[in-house]
Amino acid sequence: MKRNVAIIGGGQTCHAARRHDVDQAEMVNEAVRAALKDARMTMDEIDLVILGNMEFFEGVHLTDCWLVHGTGAYGKQGVKITTGGTVGATAVCAGAHHVASGLFDKVLCIGFEKQEEGDTGAILSGVANPLWGRSMAGAAVGYFAMMGSSYIANWGATEEHSAMVAVKARQNARKNKYAHLKLDITIEDALNSRMLAWPIRMLDMCPASNGACAMILADEKTAKARCKKPVWIRAMETAHNEQFELDWRDVKTERLIFSRAAAGRLYRKLGVDDPAKYFDVFEIYEPATWAELIWYEDLGLCGPGEGFRLIEQGKTNIDGPIPVNPSGGVLSTNCIGASAMLRVWEAALQIRGDAGEHQVPRDVRRAMTTAYGGTNWTVMTALSKTLED
Amino acid sequence: MATKDKEWISIPMTVDVPYRFAAGGYLTKCLTELRDNGKIFAVECPKCKRVQLPPRVVCAECHVKNEKWVELPHEGTLMNFTIMYLPLTDPTTGKPHEPPFVYGSVRLDGATSVLDHMVEVEPDMDKVWVGMRCRLVLRPKEERIGDLSDIRYIEPLPGQKKPQPKSR
Amino acid sequence: MENKTEYKPFEVDQHLTAHGNYWAGKAGSRFFTSLRDRKKLLGSPCKACNKVFWPPRSVCTFCFGELKDMVEIGPLGTVETFTLVTYAEPIQPRTAPFIYAVIRLDGADTGMAHFLDEVEFGNVHIGMRVQPVFAKDRKGNILDIQYFKPL
Repeated sequence: MKRNVAIIGGGQTCHAARRHDVDQAEMVNEAVRAALKDARMTMDEIDLVILGNMEFFEGVHLTDCWLVHGTGAYGKQGVKITTGGTVGATAVCAGAHHVASGLFDKVLCIGFEKQEEGDTGAILSGVANPLWGRSMAGAAVGYFAMMGSSYIANWGATEEHSAMVAVKARQNARKNKYAHLKLDITIEDALNSRMLAWPIRMLDMCPASNGACAMILADEKTAKARCKKPVWIRAMETAHNEQFELDWRDVKTERLIFSRAAAGRLYRKLGVDDPAKYFDVFEIYEPATWAELIWYEDLGLCGPGEGFRLIEQGKTNIDGPIPVNPSGGVLSTNCIGASAMLRVWEAALQIRGDAGEHQVPRDVRRAMTTAYGGTNWTVMTALSKTLED
Repeated sequence: MATKDKEWISIPMTVDVPYRFAAGGYLTKCLTELRDNGKIFAVECPKCKRVQLPPRVVCAECHVKNEKWVELPHEGTLMNFTIMYLPLTDPTTGKPHEPPFVYGSVRLDGATSVLDHMVEVEPDMDKVWVGMRCRLVLRPKEERIGDLSDIRYIEPLPGQKKPQPKSR
Repeated sequence: MENKTEYKPFEVDQHLTAHGNYWAGKAGSRFFTSLRDRKKLLGSPCKACNKVFWPPRSVCTFCFGELKDMVEIGPLGTVETFTLVTYAEPIQPRTAPFIYAVIRLDGADTGMAHFLDEVEFGNVHIGMRVQPVFAKDRKGNILDIQYFKPL
């Protein structure tokens, strides 16, 4: 990094299935006001506004223009980011780049999605190539189901392992006042929930949520002067996958796919040998339970085919040695444009010790977050409590 | 969240957008051959030798032009599958596929890429498995339009039995 | 390429249909229920900026202040700019030719686009005073005003 970048404030809405009481601008404004309050700043002090949102999900283009009064961007410099499910984290990266470059000191990054207003299924079908794939598009559930199917066939995991991930997520979410789905479920509840696409059941999948998240990034001088608990962004990494190549769902694929490529580069940048020991908490973007098990492996938390052992042994529980998604994760809240930013914000809350009931019971000095986007790329960030961590 | 005296207004809106996509040189050949001759054409990278389907001008890993065309057989191996219980709509026709149905990825013999399609088999875990040998079944020529749906489905090759799982 | 066959360019026609449902939110719901039920138009005042916004909103665009009140504006207004649309697009709510105008209602500082009717295009001018014609069957959307016409 040319200049160090810190997260000096943030906020989120209470994510819900229905937000009939607000339009998109009002909803975004809730998160923005919460972030400004947390950072003890006014809108006048913000130099740049970056808005992240999944393009056309709500049937509205140019949300960065249309929502100017809600985002506070009037007259300010800004840019709109739209990168699929990764958009919230990409917005954070873009914000961090603008601060690191030395061109801006205080950047407001916003991610939101008002899922109920749009036709996610129809617009998501636009992700498939129109000439090769759209007519046979399997939908998100189908792709994660194929991941699960491959995992079971190759490593011998069972549907119960998926249920364990579902229970962990949903019970963690009950401790997170902002989470959308707070379900008091057992393994049996998960195994009895409706089958969507084998082996994915209803409780193994994320919801469609309405919500927004906002974060304020600042340069080192501002952060140290203004913020009692700045959280430092130490590294960011992303990797595109190749279009048309669907082998990322096959757990035996040896090619360096997006998640492994990005994680590898991030670890090399930071000199990480053992990520499970290096980081104190992980917030990963898991739209489905099977994805979480596979990404334990891609992130190097365990060897290939061992992901399901981690959950079996409770290692990734909120009070375990490798806590993953103490917030409840995407499985509990998925307002697509905000979800990836929520991973970064929740990790920052953990480092600050401000996660309330879902705070992991240990000294959190380093956190790692991932994001996942529909056409299979990822944005990973590494955060730390001080610049020496 | 509406209180008795508060009414939350909503406004429905349907956006219907027409598109016309050009296939480009390589995909034109691939789709035309599929439509007219029922053939599946892929390309092979001169450097890494990956056989890529659908064909594309540049190998993404090597950044070199793919010049060699490879005709693929219709037989292959099922690499992945799921049993869908949701009625997926074919976005190009608007009609749903009736659940439950099997959907999977096949790697045609000689190809590196996989191809997603419906699998014409009973949605029964004993009748479909990763590693199953299968083949593409195409629509009759007069019904083909130059699209993945010109392949009707993937079907298992006859006479196979699901291998017994190894004990762990 | 090894194969010397010439292939005709290949093009595919497709459609994408998406059904949306927008929630008008706090300011919007008040505006549309007032329009639908009482044929009264409301704007959002910002005391700090001494401005009234139409369309209404919950946050002042200029000073970021929260706007909780609403005031009655119009129903008369002034044409700020206008045009005649003579080409047809499927998305248009009216059949061309039709007149669009940005109308600033009395009491508001900002204007909004709507239709002008019962007037010849040649007679429309900036500064023209107009009044709304309300739809008989109002549903709670902006077309509860069918169009504006000159006084």
